[in-house]
Amino acid sequence: MPVPLQANATANATAGQPSAPLADTIAGALGVGGLGGDVLGALLGAFLIANVMLVMTAVAGPWAKRKITAAFTDRIAVNRVGPFGLLIIVADAVRLLSKELIIPDGADRPAFDIAPILIPFSALLGFAVIPMGNGIHLADPETGLVFAFAAASIASLGLVMAGYASNNKYSLLGGLRSIAQNLAYEIPLVLTGASVILFTGTLQMSGIVAAQTETLINIGGIRIPQWFAFVNPFAFVLFMLANLAEVGRNPFDIPEAPTEIVAGYQTEYGSVYFVLIYLGEFIHIFLGGAIAATLFLGGPAGPILPGFVWFVIKIWAFFLFTQWARSAIPRVRIDQLIEIGWKGMLVLSFANLVLTAVIVGVLA
Amino acid sequence: MIGLLKGMATTMKHALDGSTFTVEYPDVAPEVSPRFRGVHKFSQERCIWCRQCENVCPNDTIQIVQDDQRNGEQYNLHIGQCIYCRLCEEVCPVDAILLTQNFEFTADTKDDFVYNKEQLKNVPWYKDIDPLASREPDRGAWIGEGEGEVDYQ
Amino acid sequence: MSLEEPTETEIEPVPQTAEELADLLGDRVVDREEHVNAPGFVVRPDDVQDTLRTLREEAGFDHLSCVTAQQYADRYESIYHLKKYDDPTDEVSVVVPTPSEKPVSQSAEPVFRTADWHEREAYDLVGVEYEDHPDLRRILLPETWQGHPLSNDYDQNRPQVVPLREHANPLEEDHRAGEDADTMFVNIGPHHPATHGVLHVKTTLDGEQIADLESDIGYLHRCEEQMCQQGTYRHQIMPYPDRWDYISAGILNEWAYARAAEDLADLEVPEYAQVIRTMSSELCRIASHMLAVGTFALDVYGDFTAIFMYAVRDREKVQNILEDLTGQRLMFNYLRLGGVVWDLPEPREEFFEKTRDFLDELPEALEEYHDLITGNEILQARTVDTGVLPPEVAKSYGATGPVARGSGIDYDLRRDDPYGYYDELDWDVVTDDGCDNFSRLFVRLREVEESAKIIEQCVDLLEDWPEDERTIQSNVPRTLKPEADKEIYRAVEAAKGELGIYIRSDGTDKPGRFKIRSPCFSNLQTLPEMSEGEYIPDMIASLGSLDIVLGEVDR
Repeated sequence: MPVPLQANATANATAGQPSAPLADTIAGALGVGGLGGDVLGALLGAFLIANVMLVMTAVAGPWAKRKITAAFTDRIAVNRVGPFGLLIIVADAVRLLSKELIIPDGADRPAFDIAPILIPFSALLGFAVIPMGNGIHLADPETGLVFAFAAASIASLGLVMAGYASNNKYSLLGGLRSIAQNLAYEIPLVLTGASVILFTGTLQMSGIVAAQTETLINIGGIRIPQWFAFVNPFAFVLFMLANLAEVGRNPFDIPEAPTEIVAGYQTEYGSVYFVLIYLGEFIHIFLGGAIAATLFLGGPAGPILPGFVWFVIKIWAFFLFTQWARSAIPRVRIDQLIEIGWKGMLVLSFANLVLTAVIVGVLA
Repeated sequence: MIGLLKGMATTMKHALDGSTFTVEYPDVAPEVSPRFRGVHKFSQERCIWCRQCENVCPNDTIQIVQDDQRNGEQYNLHIGQCIYCRLCEEVCPVDAILLTQNFEFTADTKDDFVYNKEQLKNVPWYKDIDPLASREPDRGAWIGEGEGEVDYQ
Repeated sequence: MSLEEPTETEIEPVPQTAEELADLLGDRVVDREEHVNAPGFVVRPDDVQDTLRTLREEAGFDHLSCVTAQQYADRYESIYHLKKYDDPTDEVSVVVPTPSEKPVSQSAEPVFRTADWHEREAYDLVGVEYEDHPDLRRILLPETWQGHPLSNDYDQNRPQVVPLREHANPLEEDHRAGEDADTMFVNIGPHHPATHGVLHVKTTLDGEQIADLESDIGYLHRCEEQMCQQGTYRHQIMPYPDRWDYISAGILNEWAYARAAEDLADLEVPEYAQVIRTMSSELCRIASHMLAVGTFALDVYGDFTAIFMYAVRDREKVQNILEDLTGQRLMFNYLRLGGVVWDLPEPREEFFEKTRDFLDELPEALEEYHDLITGNEILQARTVDTGVLPPEVAKSYGATGPVARGSGIDYDLRRDDPYGYYDELDWDVVTDDGCDNFSRLFVRLREVEESAKIIEQCVDLLEDWPEDERTIQSNVPRTLKPEADKEIYRAVEAAKGELGIYIRSDGTDKPGRFKIRSPCFSNLQTLPEMSEGEYIPDMIASLGSLDIVLGEVDR
């Protein structure tokens, strides 16, 4: 029997109260109290989480992407440098950072420089509110979900800045395409995410995770938790599609479209800036996966293994899914993309809201 | 939607079946067919300095220098300029120049690729395969004059 | 298999013989020539349009196959080789001599749109000028080039300097659109991942739609025609055709040259050699189409698509078979005048087994392609009804090969103008009425199946061929000197379309004039027709579906 939703929250936080679990843990471990302790704990916690995410991105970019693409294409990729080829990450880092930073003459300077900073850091900012299990949760405001979406959308600004400031027609086209795409798919994304709110009644991320821990049904002794993906798979599929469009992956990789506009908004960036944008793309994919995991897949929940491990597994699964889509799905044309976004996905996400209301009513 | 999903299933099948089409060169030497046209090998004992190879080369890659008594002095072949068409081997009446299967050769500058007759003599056989043996059946197929056995020793 | 009726006014039986054509043209004919492949009618330089229009509308010659220009000691000459789409063996040549001091003749462009680029090339390389041509400027060489390379008075030692200040980088100039400030001018290529080589497309964009498009070619011009004119027929020219369409279609190109030279010099090819030629050509065609499909997928699916690697993997298998047969994987140099250079490799059973294994795996591989490509809804949304080329326009532009067959034109030289062993084997010509990118892609995938059928029949024949009848080359002299002043134009069905070669012999062992009619050159001309008004991604997809090889376009 499904338990009514308004009941207890389990695990980490007290529902309805903003908190900063990780910061508190660190401050407590260091023995520093008061405001100084909070600030120190927050800074150290942010440092820790950012490093963890960057390490995962560094593994995902040079190494995992090549290995996965090779698996799809019947090849053996990076296996020479280091065990399983993992030292290729070091080699790539050295190679990319040692390149000359060429700035085109007519580039709009402050915007040109700020854009590659905006893209990865907006994603890292979003990670601040994601609950990763085992107390690793940097900040838990009452409006956590809104913050996550807002932080992720700052990247659109970065994209259009990169596109316009490069003084290059290809970049301009790429920037315009990306802003059109992001606008079109932001709304279905947020709406579908908002349908989760109907289910949980709270915007606080820990509350959302907590609401998904109850049992949905018991099939032959195996307890199926109330993950929102199981409750409303339609919303899950819509959210995944909108997420693909937000991070700019096939079939929606038009802003980058290498075979049409030669790298789109990234065309004029080299060396450090390119590394920032490249990593930024991966961090956005992981952020998208993290939000999807939190909203739909119960966050850091799972049997046996600690929560953090499950969380990592889930965001890597999302990454694998984007790579899989990249190998097999063609990209849509820009006018078809806009059509799908405004006419198809928008309508479907509104329908999804109604559907969710019905499901919640049934469950309650 | 179905077409999309079928496409994705196809690529996932390739990923999961674990077989690869590539080989790990240079740990694994690639399969080279016996007729493969690689670097030339020149035999000064057999060459009769008829200059047919120089004549037929489409690229002017072979340069032969003879003294005024028509003795052969230099035989230079630019293996970087050569297009490996094998016409020189084809017109040579005595099999003095032939193309081995060797495709691995390096140099520091393009000029180092001009091989004189010493260097051409020293070109190694690829995996010790003698290409003449693989050409042997073909020699007999030449314009109906090929029934007899040609003995070069 | 639809059949396109040529536009002809339905009078009494279409004049066929040379005499009837002479009567039709009346007093425009100044003189008569006899080329090996067709009757030649010499006309005055200002009668060109009339003559061609009459031939097209009343005699049914709707395919301007090639425009050859050359300079003799006392005059220039342009030759218009005309054929019929319905019956390519029916050919006629219109010869237009012009005086050496003032080589001006009328342009054929109002009658056949394909003459546009062909005449620009004739002007560029030889120096013949064409009145009424909409845009007579250089096409293969840079605009600042001095002199005409294939004319007799060309000075090779003259420096050709292109000062940068005179030809400033067009990217600097943002206001190319001028009055119409709503449009944006973008250079696509020559450095671009999707232009299939070094092709420069000057596009004027209205938002994301293409308002105007112009292709700028010549970046890969290697003077192949001149190099062939400096090589002997017997041996030295044969390595070059491999390098025209260098994407695995080497033997098809070599066959074009072999066919032209053999018909010029009246050489026989033994039947066994014909079967081997057929088999190896079809293997090349499969490899070429595999790559075409793979690169088309790259253009539409993005850079990380698995389809490109699968296509390359299948192509590798074909290249391995060809390596066993010819000794090289890409530049085969396998055909010779009078036959082929080598028999099948020993042991023959191994070769047959390898080929049969490949053919057995092919249906499965094609099934995969249909799952991944033609069955994919997004690809269908991208390619159906984009890049539309109506059949009449295609004919006027001289489009051939899968481009024409994708528009419903039933034109295949292997069946209509048979050579090799094609007319003794059982296979079909694939056409599709769609006229869009999708049908061209589909035609290519289906053609791979048909080629597999041909190869299978050839392999069966070769296996059972009696051992003492396996002659691979007929008796051809070491130095081949065809009669002087013989002219021939012959074409084969290469991977991209009709590859034709015009040779004029001058009594020596090297050709006097060697002109290559490349299918991609004519097909590329249709790009503006296909993409005006469409979006950039559609233009890229159209370019991919045209399947051009810059080596062949620029020669």
